[in-house]
Amino acid sequence: MKDFFRNTWKHRAHVVMALPVFLILFFIMYVPMAGLVMAFKDYDFSLGIFRSPWAGLKNFNFMLVSKDMFVRMTKNTILYYLLFTSVGTFLNVTLAIAIDQLLFKKMAKTMQTIMIIPVFISYAAVQFIVYAFLGSNTGLINHMLGTNIKFYSNGSLWPWILLIVKIWKDTGYGSVLYMSVLAGIDSELYEAAEIDGANKWRKIWHITLPSLIPMVTVMLLLSVGNVMRSDTGLFYQVTRNNGGLYKYTQVIDSYVLNSILRSSDFGYTAAASLFQSVVGLLLMLFANWLVRKIEPENALF
Amino acid sequence: MSKKKNSALDIAPSRRERKGFGQYVLAFLLLLYTVVCFLPVWLVFVAAFTDEKTIARNGFAFWPEKWSLNGVNAVLKYGDKLVSSYGVTIFVTVAGTFLGLLVMSMFAYSISRKDFRLSKFLSVYLLIPMLFNGGQLSGYICFTTYYHLKDNLWVLILPLCVTTMNVIILRTYIANSIPGELMEAAKIDGAGEYRTFFQITLPLLKPSLAAVGFMMATAYWNDWQNALMYIDTDKKKPLQLLLINIQKSIEFLLNNNNVPSSVRAAMGGTIPQYSSTMATVIVVIGPIMIAYPFFQKYFIKGLTVGSVKG
Repeated sequence: MKDFFRNTWKHRAHVVMALPVFLILFFIMYVPMAGLVMAFKDYDFSLGIFRSPWAGLKNFNFMLVSKDMFVRMTKNTILYYLLFTSVGTFLNVTLAIAIDQLLFKKMAKTMQTIMIIPVFISYAAVQFIVYAFLGSNTGLINHMLGTNIKFYSNGSLWPWILLIVKIWKDTGYGSVLYMSVLAGIDSELYEAAEIDGANKWRKIWHITLPSLIPMVTVMLLLSVGNVMRSDTGLFYQVTRNNGGLYKYTQVIDSYVLNSILRSSDFGYTAAASLFQSVVGLLLMLFANWLVRKIEPENALF
Repeated sequence: MSKKKNSALDIAPSRRERKGFGQYVLAFLLLLYTVVCFLPVWLVFVAAFTDEKTIARNGFAFWPEKWSLNGVNAVLKYGDKLVSSYGVTIFVTVAGTFLGLLVMSMFAYSISRKDFRLSKFLSVYLLIPMLFNGGQLSGYICFTTYYHLKDNLWVLILPLCVTTMNVIILRTYIANSIPGELMEAAKIDGAGEYRTFFQITLPLLKPSLAAVGFMMATAYWNDWQNALMYIDTDKKKPLQLLLINIQKSIEFLLNNNNVPSSVRAAMGGTIPQYSSTMATVIVVIGPIMIAYPFFQKYFIKGLTVGSVKG
C-alpha cells in the first residue's frame, strides 16, 4: 500500500495529466449511469433524479400497458441492427476485396476517395437528398419512372429505403478498415499459392477471406453492445420523424429522443433507457465470452 | 498479423498478374458503384443551380432544363443567420477538437507510462463507458438540471470531446510508434514531465492527432442531435440546426394550406425553396468535402493503428 502511494506520488505529473479526461468522463458518462435509477423513480422536474420519490416498478408497467408499442420498437431496433450488420459486413468485405483485387491502382484510389464522401454528410443534410429522390411531386424517382408512389406515407417501403441510405452512407468508409488488413497480407502467401496452381478464386477463398476473420470478429463484437442502440439520425431525420411511418421506423432511440423533445413520459422513457443499457451490457459480455471460448486471441477483454 | 504492413493506400504489393478480361469487368463494376455513390451528391449541386420553377414543374433532375443562380442568391437572404450559425459551428468544432485532442493525448500518455501503478485502474475506468452507459435521457437531465448547461455552447462541446475509442487509438500509437527511450533520454537531460510531453511526445504524435482530430472535427461539424435537444437561442444555433429549421418550416407550409396569406407574406422573404435549400446544404457540407481529401491518408492510417489491439 505504501509502495502504491509512493509510486503515485512519483507519478504525480501523470496523475495531473490524466485528470481532465477523468473528470470529463465522470461528468458526461458516469453520472448519467447513476442517473439510470430514475427508472425506479417518480420523476419530478423540480426535484431532479436523485431526490424524486421512489416508484418501485411502476414505470415498467408501460412495457405491459403499451405492450404493442414497446414490442414494436424493440423488434424494429433489433431487426434493423441485424439487417444493417449482416448486409453491411458482407458489403464492406466484398468491396474491400474488390478494390484490393483491382490492378488499376490509381483508379482504385480515386474511386475509394469518392466512395467515402457520403459518410461525411450529416443526416440533417442527407434528409434533403433523400427527399429529392422520394418526394411525391418533385421526387426524382417518381418522375423518372412516371409513377406516383407516396413514399412518405407508405411505411412498408422504409426498411428498404433506410437500408439503401445506410449502405450508400457507410459502405465506402466501412471497407477502409478491411482494406488495411488486406494490404498487410504477405505477398509471398499469394505467390506460394500460385506455384501450387491455385486460381484467383481459390486464393481469395483460402488466403484473403481467412485473413479478414479476426477483424470481422472484432468489429462484430464491438457492435454487439449496440444492438439496442441505433443510428438516430437515420430513423429521426431521414424519415422526417413521420408518425405515419412509425410502425416500420420507430426504434428505441428515436422514441427516447422524441420524448425528450416533447418533455413527456420521462418515467417510461427512463425504463426503456435502462432496458436498453442493461441488455447492451449483457450482450457485450456474452459476445466477449463466446469469442474467448472460440478464439481467445480475438476477445476484447 | 503478418510481418509486412502497408497502409491501405499504398495498395497491395505488386502481384505478378496480367490485366485480363476479368480486370476490366471488375473495374467497370466498381466504377458503376462509384458513380451511384456520387450521384446523390451531384444532385445536390445541380439542384442548387436549377431554376426554381423547373424543379416545381419537372421535379429534381440530374441535368436540368434550365439553370439559374437564384437559389444561390437566395441563400444570401439567410445572411445574418447563416453567418452566426457558421460562427457557432466553427467555434464549437475548433474548440472541441483542440480541447479533446489535448486532454485525450495527455491521458493516453499517462496511462502508457510503464511503471505507473494507477494506469491499470485508469484503463478500466476508460473502458467501462464502452460497455455500459446512461443513455440519452439520463444524460439530458444531467446536462440540464444538474450542470445547467441548457442553451450553453459547452453542451455542444463536452459530450463529443472524449471518446474511449479515440483515447485507445492515441494510446496504441504512443505504445507502438514512439520509443520509450526517447522520453527517458529527455528526462536524463533534465526535462520535466510536462516538458517531455509537450516538446517530445506531442510533436511525434502528429500523424495520429491528425487522424483523430479530423474524425472529431467531422463529428462536431455534423452534430445535430445535441443542438436540437439543448439549444434554443437563434444566435447559438449551429449550421445543422439551421438545416433542420428550414426543413420544419417547409413542412409547416406544405401541411398547412390554411395558413393565412398574411402569415405567408410575412414569411415571404424566407420561404425556403428547393434550389435555395440545396444551396444551403452545399454551404453546410462544403467545408468538410474540401478538407477531407487532405486528411484522407491520415485518418486511414489512424483507423489502421487503432484497430491493432494494444
